[in-house]
Amino acid sequence: MTTLSLTINGQKHGPVEVRDDLSMNDFLREMLGMTGTKFGCGAAQCLSCAIIVDEPDGTSYTSPTCIAPAVNFDGKSIRTVEGHARDGQLSALQKAFIDHFAFQCGYCTAGFLNEGQVLLERLARKPVPREALEQTISDALDGHLCRCTGYIKYHEAVRDVILADSNRYLIATK
Amino acid sequence: MRPSRRELVKWLSAGGISVSLSHLGLAKEAPFAAHETLPGRGNFNPATKGAGRVDGVAKVTGAKLYASDFRANDLPGWPQATSHAILVRANDATHVYTGLDLARLSGALKPSVVITAADLDRIGTQVPEFYAGDLFCPVGKSPLYLGQPVALLVFEKFDAFDQARLVLRDGTFVKFGEETGPVIAPDYGSFRFTRVAGSGPEKPDIYSPIQAGWVSPKKVQNAALPVWSPLAKEMPPDYAKAAKHGEQIRAELAAENASLLVLDREFETQSVDPMFLEPECGLAWYNKGGNLELVLGVQSPYEAAESIAHLLAKARGPYKPAHINAQFAHVGGGFGGRDHTPFILYVALAAICFPGKPVRLAHDRYQQFQGGIKRHPIKMRSRIGIDRASGTIKAFAADHVLDGGGLANFSANVAVVAATGAIGIYDIPKVDVTTVALHSRGVTAGSMRGYGTLQTMTALEVLIDEAASELKLDPIEFRRRNALKQNGRTMTGNPYIVSVRTPEILDKLEKHPIWQQRAKFKQGASDRLVGTGVACVTKDYGSGADCSLGRVELTADGKIAIFCDHVEMGNGIGTALANRVASHLGTIADEVSVARVDSYDALGLVSSGDPYTMDQKTQDAAARNPRWVPAISSATSASIGAHVGTHSSAEAARVIFRFGLWPAALELWRIPKTDARARQWASAHWQNGQLVMPGLEPLALPALAATAHARGFVTGAVAHSFSRWAWSRAGFPLFGEQYRAEIDALAIRRGNGKFERITRTSVKFPPTDNNRIGTAYTSMCGTLVRVEIERATGALRIAKAYSVFECGTALVPEVVMGQAHGGFAMGVGYALLETLPPFEGGPGNGEWNLGRYLVARGSDLPLRDLEIEMLKPLTPDEEPKGMAEVVMIPIVPALINAIDDATGHRFRALPVTPSLLKGVLA
Repeated sequence: MTTLSLTINGQKHGPVEVRDDLSMNDFLREMLGMTGTKFGCGAAQCLSCAIIVDEPDGTSYTSPTCIAPAVNFDGKSIRTVEGHARDGQLSALQKAFIDHFAFQCGYCTAGFLNEGQVLLERLARKPVPREALEQTISDALDGHLCRCTGYIKYHEAVRDVILADSNRYLIATK
Repeated sequence: MRPSRRELVKWLSAGGISVSLSHLGLAKEAPFAAHETLPGRGNFNPATKGAGRVDGVAKVTGAKLYASDFRANDLPGWPQATSHAILVRANDATHVYTGLDLARLSGALKPSVVITAADLDRIGTQVPEFYAGDLFCPVGKSPLYLGQPVALLVFEKFDAFDQARLVLRDGTFVKFGEETGPVIAPDYGSFRFTRVAGSGPEKPDIYSPIQAGWVSPKKVQNAALPVWSPLAKEMPPDYAKAAKHGEQIRAELAAENASLLVLDREFETQSVDPMFLEPECGLAWYNKGGNLELVLGVQSPYEAAESIAHLLAKARGPYKPAHINAQFAHVGGGFGGRDHTPFILYVALAAICFPGKPVRLAHDRYQQFQGGIKRHPIKMRSRIGIDRASGTIKAFAADHVLDGGGLANFSANVAVVAATGAIGIYDIPKVDVTTVALHSRGVTAGSMRGYGTLQTMTALEVLIDEAASELKLDPIEFRRRNALKQNGRTMTGNPYIVSVRTPEILDKLEKHPIWQQRAKFKQGASDRLVGTGVACVTKDYGSGADCSLGRVELTADGKIAIFCDHVEMGNGIGTALANRVASHLGTIADEVSVARVDSYDALGLVSSGDPYTMDQKTQDAAARNPRWVPAISSATSASIGAHVGTHSSAEAARVIFRFGLWPAALELWRIPKTDARARQWASAHWQNGQLVMPGLEPLALPALAATAHARGFVTGAVAHSFSRWAWSRAGFPLFGEQYRAEIDALAIRRGNGKFERITRTSVKFPPTDNNRIGTAYTSMCGTLVRVEIERATGALRIAKAYSVFECGTALVPEVVMGQAHGGFAMGVGYALLETLPPFEGGPGNGEWNLGRYLVARGSDLPLRDLEIEMLKPLTPDEEPKGMAEVVMIPIVPALINAIDDATGHRFRALPVTPSLLKGVLA
């Protein structure tokens, strides 16, 4: 057993004793009841279980939770699908997913939302040229599996959020 | 006569167990007012402007929505703790099962309960006929199939469960002894579909299934395949008659005839997994009051409740619940794989054997591959005869052999649909198709998107392409010459009763730049080969006995609530309901509840018999009871969401308008009933939430609703509808007139009163002879694709693609387009990536997961180079048509045809992987 403390969506959790081999996915879903993070494959292949990990330097990355032990997240700050909206207001990406009908069954949505959000924040720190945008989106989202949608509307939603605030996400062209 | 889909169990009461079903609400409401999430409230049909879907906010905020999200402490009145179960399955089906190595689960890992075949005898379960076969393989027998369950282990604590499941994963927990070889079992169904057309399109057929009925050969014991000869001993006369015609067609194809091009080809398809992202899951609690509470996520809620009630109807004392209450959640993908799944039986058993404790049974992905329903692999041999001079198809004969895996499930039905779809879009005067679905030791196959036609139409469209090439005809022109026209007869001898738009689709394909520029791009670069392929298909929607339930309520301030029994599996049924009801009531609903199966008691429906096999006399006798309907609820499948799922709610809304809002409008306009305008409700229409009538003041819905409530007009309606390739129609006495509509049961609410059943005074159910129809509802789709294949590696890239399809009126165009995108992606996976070995080494061994099983990712698809065109409806009021299956099919043969165009090699088995491509390029 290991003592685990972490921050989830801005709220501190723990210390709590967890088994060393308890997965992060089960910690969230079984111990905390936070089932917005999904379980898809248990092999880090579909990424419906992906969450956001925020680094102290202000950067972020996504991590699968189905194969990662919860203890690996000790001391970390993470974000899940339940934490994107603030004060009852959806994030720009959440709104775009809805407006574009990006999902159908919605089981993969949390993973796409987290990955898209990390991409937006990365581009805000380090914009790319417009001509690199399509490949950038494709590279970011390609690890995520969706069986319903064919991915196009997810990509369109992310693209539209970026283009709607191009000064923030894209390198200005002269 | 369609093979029975289910045994005859009443859902309302089975073996003294009362059954209720209800929708599972969100355990935790999202911190948003629900009405804000509805698509563009206040705007007419706002979803056409991209304003979202009714479940949008729940899905982007991680609200508890799916069965796998719920634990006991999420549910009101349930205990706080959840126990967990593991379904242990056999990973061998050729040796005797000798038991479990339970010693490996000792100490803290010891299960609280172990349930095996021996316990079923003690409990007194009876397996529903649809799932016939041992629920658990008994010790001393060889498993019926790979992945057959052998035991349920229940663990009170999560930690014990969590650690035990890892211990069990190495595949040595289940013990086997002597080798026996696989269990031999009879086939699941064999049929022959033969049609000989008359001398002209207007002449009656010489022989057809619609005239003579569907036929099956005599069962011959100890034979792997049916004996198809009409001359075999004791062959049923009806079969022998069909077979004589069939053999004559085959003889003509085999004869020396220089004027006829005859191609005789084989094609083979693979087993694949639906790979819906949410593995199957259920939660159940057998409480002290004798109630069995269930939370399930399936496509067929009524069937699930029926089957569980049947399972326990004759159980002994403590194991027999007094009441079953099943709640149904959204599903995280279905594609057919959650329609009639035996998984739910094990959820119920786990709870019954661990009374007082809520138990959760959830597949992980390995288990889902091991036990989940698969698509049928089909071996096909097809012969086609084409008049060389005219380029018209004269005859077609085919033999299909389906591997149904371990349990019958829907194998017989899939075989039928696959066979009757085998001539695709074409008008062929002589057709003879035999089909048999076999038992094997493979994982059970059943319903999956395309339902057999994906396989047979792929084989056909590849054959058609080859025939065009042999005849030196343009592939699209060849298709055009042979396409079935409106009112032409299908293989079973009936015409489609919906629009047939193949010519329009072929024209679109022909004019598209991908087709026009195919020669230019074929020259390509030296390092890669380029090819263009085309295919055009048609796919039925509906199963021949489909029904829906709908309830619509209008409050005094104009708010609308809709309740529907069909399940939301991503297909946007909730949003489609909102839009279809809005066409009658002027605005989008404030509440839409799907998978709602507890809201129609006012109808007092009863049912009996099997709607697929019932004879006319039986139906006529039963219909004398004004509460009787051929079926109460059907599964959300077969692309019926738009056409069937929304129908009853739309009809209920029509009643509210006609007998609630219209009389309210007359009052507000001060038009007396004697005024001729009082009967001109059809001239009124909704515009921006207001009822508009020429020359009169527009009226807002809230004002109309308030008046309807105040005056006791109709403010709510519940309706049931049934379709057997035509809707039932009934008459109801309403306010001094006979109201006739395409429904068979109706209840209304006046003002704020209670719902009251309106006894129908006449009813016309679709004739039982319609069961001889293969399909009458169909949609068409055509696809063009350009591929680039690297010479060195065989790597294939889809450079450009175009699909064009028709679906009548699209209720939610964005959802329709999304389904088309998704169908394309699933088709690409089927053609190029996905495959499961059938037996040992296949998914039944419990070692399969994603990574090893490949499905299409974004990088496998032309995300920026896929053009989808949805044809506009033929008329503004054209009924919606199912389209979610047809959009998946043509990309598969189009890819195979494009590969042939690029490489000169026509593949006759799926999938076509890079290594296979590299092989033919070597």
